[in-house]
Amino acid sequence: MTYLTWRQHRQQALVALALLAAFAVLMLITGLQAAAQWHAALAGCSAARACGSLRDIFLGSHAVGFLVVLTLIVPALLGMLLGAPLVAHELETRTTQFAWTQGATRARWLAVRVGWLLLGTAAFAGAVSALVTWWSGPANAQQASGFNPGRFDIMGIAPVGYTVFAVALGITAGTVIRRVVPAIGITVACFIAVRAAVFIGLRQHYQAAVTHVYGLTQSFAPPGAAWQLAAGVVAPGGGRLSVSDGPAIAVNVSSVTVPASCRGLEDAATLSCMQAAGFRQFITYQPAGRYWAFQAIEAGIFVALAAALIAVAFVVLRRRDA
Amino acid sequence: MSWLVWRQYRAQGAIALALLAGFGAVLIVTGAQMASQWHSGLASCAASGTCAKLAQTLSLGSPLGRDFVLLSNLVPALLGFLWGAPLVAGEVEAGTRAYAWTQGISRTRWLLVKAGWLLLAAAAWGGAVTALTTWWYGPRNALYASAFQPNTFDTQGIVTVGYSVFALALGVAAGALTRRTLPAIAITIGGFIGMRLLISEVVRQHYLTAVTAFYNPLQAFAPPGPAWTLQQGVMDKYGQVFTGGNGPEVNGVPFSALPANCQKFIMIDPGTMTKTSLHAAVTCMQASGFRGFVTYQPASRWWAFQGIETGIFLALAAALIAAALVVVRRRDA
Repeated sequence: MTYLTWRQHRQQALVALALLAAFAVLMLITGLQAAAQWHAALAGCSAARACGSLRDIFLGSHAVGFLVVLTLIVPALLGMLLGAPLVAHELETRTTQFAWTQGATRARWLAVRVGWLLLGTAAFAGAVSALVTWWSGPANAQQASGFNPGRFDIMGIAPVGYTVFAVALGITAGTVIRRVVPAIGITVACFIAVRAAVFIGLRQHYQAAVTHVYGLTQSFAPPGAAWQLAAGVVAPGGGRLSVSDGPAIAVNVSSVTVPASCRGLEDAATLSCMQAAGFRQFITYQPAGRYWAFQAIEAGIFVALAAALIAVAFVVLRRRDA
Repeated sequence: MSWLVWRQYRAQGAIALALLAGFGAVLIVTGAQMASQWHSGLASCAASGTCAKLAQTLSLGSPLGRDFVLLSNLVPALLGFLWGAPLVAGEVEAGTRAYAWTQGISRTRWLLVKAGWLLLAAAAWGGAVTALTTWWYGPRNALYASAFQPNTFDTQGIVTVGYSVFALALGVAAGALTRRTLPAIAITIGGFIGMRLLISEVVRQHYLTAVTAFYNPLQAFAPPGPAWTLQQGVMDKYGQVFTGGNGPEVNGVPFSALPANCQKFIMIDPGTMTKTSLHAAVTCMQASGFRGFVTYQPASRWWAFQGIETGIFLALAAALIAAALVVVRRRDA
């Protein structure tokens, strides 16, 4: 069975390896350039004691940066092109009738193929993610943005979880629908929907967020690469001040409507008037120290979903008539 | 033939319509919210005379609507690999082409009618999506003047129609060439992303010769309206360009590149540089021939660029369909 799986997938494996090699070369060359640029800028600014302006330096190139963002779709591609046809293509071409009469049970047939495919795609996604994580090192240090949505999703171990899920989704969709192209459509749609649901509904609640309250004339930023969830101004009663439905004023991280009692003053006077009236700023965030815990929870959720999907595929395949 | 095409694709058409309805519902709800937010923001800033800094104080729109508009980038690719790639390859794999081609209809007619209806459907679908996103963008375009920026340019106007037709034609041609659905799907995705990146990152800025404006480095300058700024910085009298990003600098010009008589204003510790010393340094730079410059595509060219980009993708689509026709007619059944 293992040998058969290799024979059936060796072409795809070679194409994947070639693409990975090309990507690795691109990442290595541009990553070393960006790292050199970063170190030179660090040395220059510390000599001139002007490292505050370091954030404005642009590292790397737009096109390569865009390609790195595009690795967001790698899990979906693997699920569509490798996961969905795994069972459905054999059902469509009726090769299952031959495969299932050769002495290996359907469960074994499925288990070996699924196991190798999941292992291979997880390794592929892990390699892509490792390259992207290394490549993003200087940008992460400069922008402290590793925890932000979009960046979090292409680094660390989360992409491996997404990939295992996407491939399992493709396999199960193909097993249930038994046709390749509809299974591909379902895989894309469900993958986007589940990723969006976990991101919008769940991720920020993995651990209780931290809220910091401080004066209107002070400035505050969470240390390190924290993930900012909300920021604004709280009224003395505890309610949140709305974002600009009237004359607005910009405070540290956001802008809010000026309460009626403090209108018609200069910006600085408005702020001290509001401060005296008991208004305070707040910022809600997930601290940078939780990054790896969040990565592990996110990857764990998707691996658990994948396990459930694979179980469904087994039940459907064993029960159904050939 | 047209009846056959309708019978083969009515399920997919119904699903596509349902998805479009869902997409439209999200965009209309979030777009209407955004429009009312925009109008109340305008009214209150006009009352208090603070409309000049409205772009800093008003944050328009919800993340949900923005995510959906970004997702509309995927629509052409989806049409290409779900409808286009199986168009020929699916029938070859299933063997149904052998039946279709022995019913008294030429291969050319078979391909032209099938591809024609689907291209029309893809154009209509892309048009509906872009009509929704263009309407949705209205307040954001007015507030942020960003309609010409990469990414926002790609999701409004008429370009989405061109992308959709191109993606579908790419799928048809890839399917005709490989005669297998899965490789055709992979080629369609790779080719579509590659061509879109090539055009938007490399080619688009050269459709028309960019305009360069020079200005006094003591003053800020921005091209009027939603122009597309390609490069902005400072140029010395020999034409050398400085755009910043290389450590300690004045207006993007590294300290080491300043003439000696200007360096004296800033050879004090840069960490303690004041507004006055900065002003003196920039005045000295201006006297020694430094000028601010900005290279941009003016806002008035927006529709011309939309037309050129759409035309390029339509021409590519025509070439791909022609290639598919040649392949299908020449090959043995």
